[in-house]
Amino acid sequence: MQLPGIFRQRKYQIAFALIVFVVLLVFWKPTVLIYGVQRAGLYASIAIPMALVLGVVGILNIAHGDFMMIGAYLAYWLSVLYGSDPLVAMIPVFVAMFVAGALTYKITIKHVLDAPEFSQLLLTFGLAMILEQLANLLWTSQPRKLHVDYASSSVTIGSLSFGVFEFTNVAIAILILIALMLFLKRTRMGQAALAAGQNPRGAKLVGINVEQAYLLLFSISIAIVSAIGGLFLARHSIFPLVGSSYTMRSFALIAMAGIGNLPGILFCSLGLGVAESFIMSFKGYSGWADIVFFALILLVIIIRSIRRY
Amino acid sequence: MKNNQSIWAMMLILSILITGCVKATAEPTQVPTSVPPVEEPTKVPTKVPTEVPTAIPTEAEPIKLGVIVSLGDISGINGQNGALLAQEEINAAGGILGRPLEVIVMDDEMTPEKGAAAVEKLVTVDNVDAFVINSFSGVHMAQIPTLKKYGTVTIVTGAASHLCEEAIGTDADWYFHLHSWDYMQGQGQKAGWLAITEKYPDLEFGSVFMAYEEGAFGTASFQFSQVLFEDMATLSGESFKSAAMGGGDYSAVLEHAKAENADSFTWVGYAADALPILEQAKAINYAPPFFVGAPPGWPPDFGDSPLSEGVIAYEVWADALTEVSDVSKDFYDSYVDLYGSGPDNYLAALVYSAVHILAEGMERAGTLEADALITALEETEYVAPTMEVITFSPSMIIKHQAPLTPMIAQYQGGELEVLYPWDRATSELIYPFPSWEGR
Repeated sequence: MQLPGIFRQRKYQIAFALIVFVVLLVFWKPTVLIYGVQRAGLYASIAIPMALVLGVVGILNIAHGDFMMIGAYLAYWLSVLYGSDPLVAMIPVFVAMFVAGALTYKITIKHVLDAPEFSQLLLTFGLAMILEQLANLLWTSQPRKLHVDYASSSVTIGSLSFGVFEFTNVAIAILILIALMLFLKRTRMGQAALAAGQNPRGAKLVGINVEQAYLLLFSISIAIVSAIGGLFLARHSIFPLVGSSYTMRSFALIAMAGIGNLPGILFCSLGLGVAESFIMSFKGYSGWADIVFFALILLVIIIRSIRRY
Repeated sequence: MKNNQSIWAMMLILSILITGCVKATAEPTQVPTSVPPVEEPTKVPTKVPTEVPTAIPTEAEPIKLGVIVSLGDISGINGQNGALLAQEEINAAGGILGRPLEVIVMDDEMTPEKGAAAVEKLVTVDNVDAFVINSFSGVHMAQIPTLKKYGTVTIVTGAASHLCEEAIGTDADWYFHLHSWDYMQGQGQKAGWLAITEKYPDLEFGSVFMAYEEGAFGTASFQFSQVLFEDMATLSGESFKSAAMGGGDYSAVLEHAKAENADSFTWVGYAADALPILEQAKAINYAPPFFVGAPPGWPPDFGDSPLSEGVIAYEVWADALTEVSDVSKDFYDSYVDLYGSGPDNYLAALVYSAVHILAEGMERAGTLEADALITALEETEYVAPTMEVITFSPSMIIKHQAPLTPMIAQYQGGELEVLYPWDRATSELIYPFPSWEGR
């Protein structure tokens, strides 16, 4: 018996398998999908700005997660000192960190754009250390957490209760993606930035201010990830080292999706989030979830190397 | 575009390097095979005789005390505060042997190299007469060889790992440990639960689900608990990645705990886990009869959250002790007068006590000579603000051990109330853990 024509194509076979898997999960372990999607939202919202900088400016920003940490602290102090809600605090944090991002670019990043990748890595690694130690000096390593009622809001369907606040991560991630895609594809500055990323020399020749484009993109990236800190604060404890693990996760997602593939990050986040949740749904296997990230980096590098050669 | 393969290769190398650079603050995993018997808590007098202060001669050379703490952590800051408060009190009362006390604080920066270097510097440059050390176990392990080299009388108010005890050995007469070793802490907790289940016969404590952070600290705690509680309750558990180590998602472990429906849920992690784990428990509507937390320290504002109501904690200090002990109240009031707010962490009281113990020991000895001071310290009976009567006796390995009796406390109305030991109790147990509705 032969398969219908449509299912002879690999992509439809994969899609069908995925649908079957999802349906199985819904009946067997529904929390895997719920928590997987929620984790994916947070990972994607942090990774997308990093992918923007890496894909266009070509800079590996090791301090990416640490900027999120700084944004979280700013949102924390706005809440403590002025009673601001952490989600509302995302707006002033975005503005303040846009300026901080611009200053960071002017003082540090722009001087290593033409340097070897290792020099860029060292620079941003040093930046990460400075941010972490600064936070430690100013606020100590003591974790801080804001209690907001809505962070533990939940829904009960039958015997299943689950939190709903973290679906805001998903909404925010989609919003960031749409906003960035519109900016890059539909605005002159965005199109200029894309052009500068593809061919800086050619872009200069046609009159595009490459320097300004890089500055703008870097500042936007820092502003977005810092603002995400406010969202992060509503749900998590913050301390000086909280951001570094998310830098690594963002690397893994960019590795999977491919440099410059912003929409791909959303789908890869979903895959990673669900994979993590699936492993963690088995008692005693929570510790294996971390292996997923590193195993995927290795797998992608190996597969891409094999394909190239 | 740049060469992608070299970028990915460097990312992989860097991720391995950064993973290796993450500070390890947890305890090692080795579990001792024998456990000393449980001791009964001792009665605590509530008043301490006061002395008439005398003036210190201005030309007198100070007695120097080296205090090593982790200033990057709230525990270290509290320890420093306790030491400086003790210095002020001792000097106001006339100093030690007619000489002023000078506390020299050094930060170990929570790294072994800096911790060892602090010892070296305090001995060779500052010529300190004694030490009070409040370093984490990993840092203290690096300090031990340097401490052994000089043999300066030392009181250690941190380092709970029994591996530190093994490293110090049986011959270190100059070493005094003013903190429970890891295996002692569980004994105290078990004694407390036995007493509580006896007092409240209707409450059920037959099964415990323990969620423990996957590092050495949590794993060792789970292993100890399995040994200690095997005759009292069925213990099952699962690890989670602590927020302090880049985790913070407890959904899986909470779902498993909810499915098992144990009489008690205990989490062993760090302060960063305290509120998030409660929020996620609320989100899945999981309210076990006992909700117990066992981090080394709690966030200072934990009690402010309505979710903290009914959470049980193991503590050595609680502000509520000021209601039942004049010694605790005097310490607390002095601390507030000097710093504007109460201590956030028990180490303020512990380091404070250690400085006073050394001062009193020096007075009894009448000299700073090591052998005489050691003999004098062996006679210590110090009433601490934690309501312990501090005495030193041999532990499994070392000669001078003063264990701390962990209290079982519960957050009630935003305050940490003591439930056990009975002579320190400030409130009755709230049982079962309140429902999440309305919180």
